[in-house]
Amino acid sequence: MNHAFSITAAELAARGRENIPPELLSSAHLIYSSPATLAFNSPGAQGFGVKRAGLAVPGSVMLLVAPACCGRNTSALGCEAALAERFFYLMQDDTDIVTGRHLARIPEAVKEVCDSCATRPSAVMICITCVDALLGTDMERVCRKASDYAGVPVVPCYMYALTREGRLPPMVSVRRSVYSLLRPREKVPTSVNILGFFSPLRNDAELYTLLHSAGVRAIREISRCADYEEYQAMAEANFNLVLNQEARHAAADLQKRLGIPSVELARLYQTDKIANQYRLLGQAVGAEFDDAPFRERAEQVIANFRNRFGHRTFAVGEWLNADPFELSLSLIRNGFAVSEIFGTVGGSNFVYVRKIAALSPDTKIYSNLSPSMMFYDGKESHCDTVVGRDAMYYHPELPGVAWNDERQPFGYAGVAALFGELANALSGKEEHAR
Amino acid sequence: MKSLLKHLSPFAPDQSGAVSALFDFGGLIVICDAGGCTGNICGFDEPRWFIRRSAVFSAGLRDMDAILGRDDKLVSKLQAAMDGSGLKFSAIIGTPVPAIIATDFKALKRMAEKRTGLPVITVPTTGTHYYDRGASDAWLELFKTFATEHFSIYYDMVGILGASPLDFPTLDAGNLLSAALTKDGWKSVKCYGMGADLDDIRAASAATKNIVVSPAGLAAAKYLEKTFGTPYEVRCPWLPPQALDALPALAGKKTLVIHQQFAANAVRDAILKLDPASQVDVASWFIMEPEFMRENDFHIESEEAFIEAVANGGYDAIVCDSRLRVALPRTMAFKNIDFPHFAVSGRLLDEAK
Repeated sequence: MNHAFSITAAELAARGRENIPPELLSSAHLIYSSPATLAFNSPGAQGFGVKRAGLAVPGSVMLLVAPACCGRNTSALGCEAALAERFFYLMQDDTDIVTGRHLARIPEAVKEVCDSCATRPSAVMICITCVDALLGTDMERVCRKASDYAGVPVVPCYMYALTREGRLPPMVSVRRSVYSLLRPREKVPTSVNILGFFSPLRNDAELYTLLHSAGVRAIREISRCADYEEYQAMAEANFNLVLNQEARHAAADLQKRLGIPSVELARLYQTDKIANQYRLLGQAVGAEFDDAPFRERAEQVIANFRNRFGHRTFAVGEWLNADPFELSLSLIRNGFAVSEIFGTVGGSNFVYVRKIAALSPDTKIYSNLSPSMMFYDGKESHCDTVVGRDAMYYHPELPGVAWNDERQPFGYAGVAALFGELANALSGKEEHAR
Repeated sequence: MKSLLKHLSPFAPDQSGAVSALFDFGGLIVICDAGGCTGNICGFDEPRWFIRRSAVFSAGLRDMDAILGRDDKLVSKLQAAMDGSGLKFSAIIGTPVPAIIATDFKALKRMAEKRTGLPVITVPTTGTHYYDRGASDAWLELFKTFATEHFSIYYDMVGILGASPLDFPTLDAGNLLSAALTKDGWKSVKCYGMGADLDDIRAASAATKNIVVSPAGLAAAKYLEKTFGTPYEVRCPWLPPQALDALPALAGKKTLVIHQQFAANAVRDAILKLDPASQVDVASWFIMEPEFMRENDFHIESEEAFIEAVANGGYDAIVCDSRLRVALPRTMAFKNIDFPHFAVSGRLLDEAK
């Protein structure tokens, strides 16, 4: 191993989904944790990992029950004072992790945490880690006991890194946890929830306008709920819009418990596919959306970008608000080139690999997690523009955008915003942190 | 409740200390975890990771790996990563997962050495202890593995043991510590862990003596003394100027210094030098070596105990990482001098300014 492994889109497509090379499969090798990968390889590391996500419930606090090592980086999250005041830690010692005796202390710890807060928390989220995964802890039971003892809702959040590629990965599970406190309410036909993210959509997302045009009056997102009462109002929704497949499990739970059905939309960057998706959404909810003006605007922004900056060659990463393969396909279909993609190939995005292979067979695909990335040399690349925080790490000298803001881009507005930011980066109007 | 932190967040754990000790030597480091521990170590506790590419990997353990104890799979992955890489050794660092499933690190070492044909260091950290313990174990293993040959003494050479960014919160700490000893007349200073390389470890027996700058370096110093007869001295030749500059105001006062024990002792010495009548106690959340403690020095067992000790101590001033201040009620009145400790707050000196 002395060079970064890559495979062309054509070669990968020819091998097929069942024959992905082991270098692209994280379970087949050690995992290289570079600054490019930290945020998504560690369920608690940066951005919205399980710890921060668990605090999406307004007014809640989190008690991390774990060895000290699991809570260490929360000091970084705690740079925001408001967030720091919502984290508490019950530290496990050697005996705890062997015997599980720490479980008996949890109810008392929850009570002590609640008593120490200036304002009584709306809920206590108990974050547990690999230790309890291996001990087989029944944390639902422990939480019920703690809830009875402390007189506050107590909810488990499973930060089980060991199950990252399992049926219920941590970021899927925590989405269920944060909606689990919703209690049945009478349905309001003009109310809709948006599920999927822990921060709001960008305000310019046309989805809001389209839903309002269809008669929807209340569009709720957990991150926009000012307090616990507003959060509880999410239970009155007529349906849930799932914008991230990691929220599917939560949506299924809400359907089962509260009878709220859901419709899933993907975040796409191909404008014709976005249009198709809105058409299908309209059919599902019995409305006809007039999305043409939004589509025209987005396509105009792309055309303006192409006219101004010409035929750009992109490197696309995966630490960004997009599926790197879908975004790459969109760029290629819009007349740009994509020389390399840093991404994780899986069942859901292999379809894009095939389409990329047909249009741009020489596009190279790298796995961020491959140990061989230690030897990646950007000088061998032909790209001149980068998208994604990881891609910026590999090509610090090139103009580009991280495109991983917490405000979530979606739909045509997301497409327009991306090309707007790219235009700014290329014209040097904005200083982009590298 | 003793194990409950209501104001502070956890300090750097043993696995971070182990990685910090080994980081500078160009080996392949595998953290035996599922990904989360590696994220914490690289993304928070190892500031050098941000500025240069390094061979730090996660074993990427999954639930079935842990349940079935697939050590052979880990060794195969390690071998694949080592092949052709040019790296000279590898290290396997423990986390809570191998602690729970009782991984046999000795067996893992033997298997990995056989497969890679290169030295393998294993540090069975558990994630439940603090960084200094992990660093201490890693230093000891490193010297036991590589410092095997008895060289003639090079009389102008001195070694520094126990230096890492976790204890000396600047990436330049190796140079600063070395410069302080050069000023003392040493021509060749080897700061192990922050500047020295693997060949320097191999030649450690040539040092005239070792200077131990933190408790994490003490076990290795004792090993080198026992094995090669190299004497050691405990002292801290460099301290952050921002902390030292504030000390004159503490002359004659009752002061509590909280840091790693040897740095805190050095601060005490500096205050007593200004005014021998000053009353200075040293405390630490980390290892407190009894032979270097004075009357009234104490180990901090918990957040509760920390608050109580400060409340009842009658101190005029506290020299500590200012992050610790958040645990103390605002009504407590004392002078607070910031003495950044990366293992506590994750702040480097430049960030602390």
